[in-house]
Amino acid sequence: MTTKTININVPVLARVEGEGALDLTIENKKITDLKLRIYEPPRYFEKFLEGRNHYDVLDTVSRICGICPVAYQMSATHAIESIFDITITPWIRTMRRLFYCGEWLQSHSLHIHLLAAPDFLGFNSVIEMSAHYGDQVRRGLKLQALGNDLVALLGARSVHPVGAMIGGFSHAPDQKSIDAMLQRVTEAKQDSVNLVQWLDNLDLADDEQDFISVALHHDDEYAFNEGRLISDSGLDIPVSEFEKHFKELHVDHSTALHCLFNGKPYLVGPLARLNLNKDQLPKEVKHVLQGLKTVFPSNNMFHSIIARAVEIHFTLVEAEQILRNYVYTDQPYVEFEPKAGTGYGCTEAPRGILWHRYDMDEAGCVKKAIIVPPTSQNQPRIEQDLKDSLIRLGLDSAKDKLQLHAETVIRNYDPCISCATHFLNLNLVRDGVFEGSNQLSTIVPQFKNIELNKAAIIGIGSPHEGDDAGWQMIDQLLQNRTIKSLQQKGLSLFKLDRPGIALADNIKPYDFVLIIDAIKSNDSEQDFICFDAHQLKSAIKQISSHDMGVLESVALIKSLHLLPKQLLIFAVPDIKDKFIEEIINIINC
Amino acid sequence: MSNALTNKPRVAVHKFSSCDGCQLALLNLGESILQLSQLVDIKHFAEAGPIDEDTKVDIAFIEGSVSTSLDITRLKKIRDNSTYLITMGACATSGGIQALRNMANTNQWIADIYANPSVIDSLDNSSPIKNHVNVDLELWGCPINKRQILTAIRALLFGVLPTEEHDKVCAECKRQQTVCVMVTKNQPCMGPVTRTGCGALCPHIGRACYACYGPAENSNTRALANRLHGLGLVKDEVARRFLFINSGAEQFNPEGLHWKT
Repeated sequence: MTTKTININVPVLARVEGEGALDLTIENKKITDLKLRIYEPPRYFEKFLEGRNHYDVLDTVSRICGICPVAYQMSATHAIESIFDITITPWIRTMRRLFYCGEWLQSHSLHIHLLAAPDFLGFNSVIEMSAHYGDQVRRGLKLQALGNDLVALLGARSVHPVGAMIGGFSHAPDQKSIDAMLQRVTEAKQDSVNLVQWLDNLDLADDEQDFISVALHHDDEYAFNEGRLISDSGLDIPVSEFEKHFKELHVDHSTALHCLFNGKPYLVGPLARLNLNKDQLPKEVKHVLQGLKTVFPSNNMFHSIIARAVEIHFTLVEAEQILRNYVYTDQPYVEFEPKAGTGYGCTEAPRGILWHRYDMDEAGCVKKAIIVPPTSQNQPRIEQDLKDSLIRLGLDSAKDKLQLHAETVIRNYDPCISCATHFLNLNLVRDGVFEGSNQLSTIVPQFKNIELNKAAIIGIGSPHEGDDAGWQMIDQLLQNRTIKSLQQKGLSLFKLDRPGIALADNIKPYDFVLIIDAIKSNDSEQDFICFDAHQLKSAIKQISSHDMGVLESVALIKSLHLLPKQLLIFAVPDIKDKFIEEIINIINC
Repeated sequence: MSNALTNKPRVAVHKFSSCDGCQLALLNLGESILQLSQLVDIKHFAEAGPIDEDTKVDIAFIEGSVSTSLDITRLKKIRDNSTYLITMGACATSGGIQALRNMANTNQWIADIYANPSVIDSLDNSSPIKNHVNVDLELWGCPINKRQILTAIRALLFGVLPTEEHDKVCAECKRQQTVCVMVTKNQPCMGPVTRTGCGALCPHIGRACYACYGPAENSNTRALANRLHGLGLVKDEVARRFLFINSGAEQFNPEGLHWKT
């Protein structure tokens, strides 16, 4: 039996809300290593809160996340109000639901249109996508803007809003701004229905799996701020008992703590909510649900994007209702005296339950804070999902297919570490075969009838985790005498930093292209891999949105019939004289 | 202007340690982002899609503070590749809220939070971009808003350096005829020492400014601190007004430490 090792190593998941990476090793058709590594530098918010007065808490926790600051403010305020024995008025309670509608609306619209849809439709970014799906993109951006304005209606601005306070809101919007908002919300409802239907008709992968959904549940409404924690495995507890059932662990590969439910991974977020709480949706939303091909509860994780759209529709229906019945008050907050004690708050952030615990002293200052964000809860579930769905996909699948599937799975959770999950490089090692079949020939392909003035050697690399072998090879080649003489006859050499699909533009002027890219290997004897792009088996149906590895790019370029006469890919584990000589032989044929 | 921009300037948006909120000033532009993408060539903006971190650009926007050793290397490369380097937001400009850790023993904090502290890589300080490279323009605010970033880009497109807003929030309140929350409600408002740009949002809705836009020009921090103390704030509480979102700012840091017991 051939020993077959596949390493998929994605060194930078994102430079955004979190910094993460994916490591995957498959040996003899078994996953031997799978880690979603999160290495965003720790930001110590729980420590910043210690000693702070209660009135600084909401302005502090909002800074944890620019995309879901409302959620952080709401979980914190409910926890602290429970300690201070504050009873909020119905007006405040309703306005908090409206506030939350705005956040879900903007966050969900952002994820669907700017992060996820380009993925499913095969574009690199929303800007590219807008050239082909202009109406859908404009509709999405309009919904996102409406969500932001809804947050700003109560919060004065959409990012780190300043209107919410412990005990209520610092001001009540006037009737004129409510009326203007009501009109926009009513008009947007049809857009949200169209959005749901559009996504319902996307060709999403079928990926049924077993998982536990956990969400906040309220008997009379689709829960935002208030309710009990329930699961589809029978959990039904007040939020104060969270710590009895859920444990946060530190795993070495992540600066985000992992959270487990009775020792097991679980799901939070739109799909979990819809699975558990769909009966609490308003009639109007239920009616839209009934007309869909997709049926909820669903065990297909890819239905998350549809769940997210359904919730967009819900926020508009809910906001319309609240705005229509709005009555101005000059009591937008209640007075209170601080007290010592311990309190818990759990609300539904766009990405799932966000649980806070505060210990306060008599003066109303924070003694201790614990914050469990949705992403740390979903992280073990993402790893479990990756394992299951990659096994289902077939561990002997083509490596690019494996990686694309892995990326899609991760992005589908809308992890906050990846308010953009921008996978950068792809490094492949496979002992034995390439591309899931015996395509890889031991004979190094050669250029035929090369014309040097139409030939280029391109080194691909990135500044991360030493993935610059492609660049170093170019530096070495430029020192070489033979190469120097070939340059005088017109040969081009240059470096690119993860060009993604822009590779197509970079190779356009040339008929003969040799791409040098790094592969990662633990084997110091790992040889180079060289193959002809024209022999790549197939193009890839789903490509990752935010960046593509070299193979994905080449596959796409091939499927668009934009390949030059000859395109060779030369993958090196490190820099060796032998590799330099090999390249010179290929060019100098 | 010494460095004229090309017809369609190349723009990059880079993220360091931050919450993402300032990038949202761009991502929340709505349809204007499509218009913007016609005026400038967005070469690198990971959250929006394009990735080309090491490309030469006319304008590099930076969000976030420097908090790991790798950050410094990255930053120097970005500086080398950019004609104009503009920081956006409190983190990039003053170290941000996470600069609060500069006054603490982070090793102890790591030990408190993580079971296996040896695997956590984190510098002792969270520092602003200007501590490491030359910065051409600072956009203050936590978070910055659309108007600030579009104004900056527009000015550069017209071939002039954007003007900085150094005015105090107080001046903005007067222009808007907002009733002073310190005078009428005895609230510990930071408006007298805080840079405007936000539109005086907090006083406008009846609450004290908490200085998320950083220090204004020629701020008399001591006079305000004395006034806050006079309002009944204990010394440590006065300190915390200055040591919050922009605790690393030169004008705020010494004032805060002066009152810290």
